[in-house]
Amino acid sequence: MTDRIERELQLDAPTEAVWEAMLSDGWLADEVRLELHPGGDASFRSADGERHGWIEDVSAPNESSSGRLAFWWAADDEPASRVELTIDAGSDGSTWVRVVETRPLEQLDLIGLPLRGTGGQTSYGPALVAA
Amino acid sequence: MTQIDAAGAVFSALADPTRRTLLQTIAGHPAATATELAATLPITRQAVIKHLAALSDAGLLDREREGREVRYSVTPAPLSDAVSWMAAVGGEWDDRLGALKRQFDEPR
Repeated sequence: MTDRIERELQLDAPTEAVWEAMLSDGWLADEVRLELHPGGDASFRSADGERHGWIEDVSAPNESSSGRLAFWWAADDEPASRVELTIDAGSDGSTWVRVVETRPLEQLDLIGLPLRGTGGQTSYGPALVAA
Repeated sequence: MTQIDAAGAVFSALADPTRRTLLQTIAGHPAATATELAATLPITRQAVIKHLAALSDAGLLDREREGREVRYSVTPAPLSDAVSWMAAVGGEWDDRLGALKRQFDEPR
């Protein structure tokens, strides 16, 4: 079983501008440091605490494809959760933002260790995540 | 209500699968109305209101009247870790998306 949060939002703005805002300081946290490649480090600092994690997959949006950022994060002593941000261009020049945060209930705590995921894909993931 | 009675009320409120679904939905969408909740479930608004009353009586929901509608949110107290995680994390994303919306939807 997995805990799951899902949100969707339509914005009257181009995808590139929304993508930039979502990666900037002040959105995911007050201070955001992301090494934007699979396995890269991620750290998030805010007044109420710090989270650390790593990038699972990233692709910036362009004219022909949507943008996607998948990463794992955790505060100290808390189980890690996975965030997937997707942005898509709407037909009318708008941008759709989709957020999914999931917390697998049983997993090895491998935060910070970019291990190859199971499932034959090139993306990284915790080596063991319960179905 | 004694502590044992209170726990019993929580368990019997959560014994019903529809009420568990309702509670999870509200955790993900705080301040939901019965009308909004009925739209997500294959049951009538009347049935939703009945289930909401059972959950409120067990202390699992907070009610806030707004005009003709009542808005329901989960109370943090007797909840499972899963439900409180969803309430906390869902609230964080609501804040972030609200900030994005303000940033981009302001008149230019």
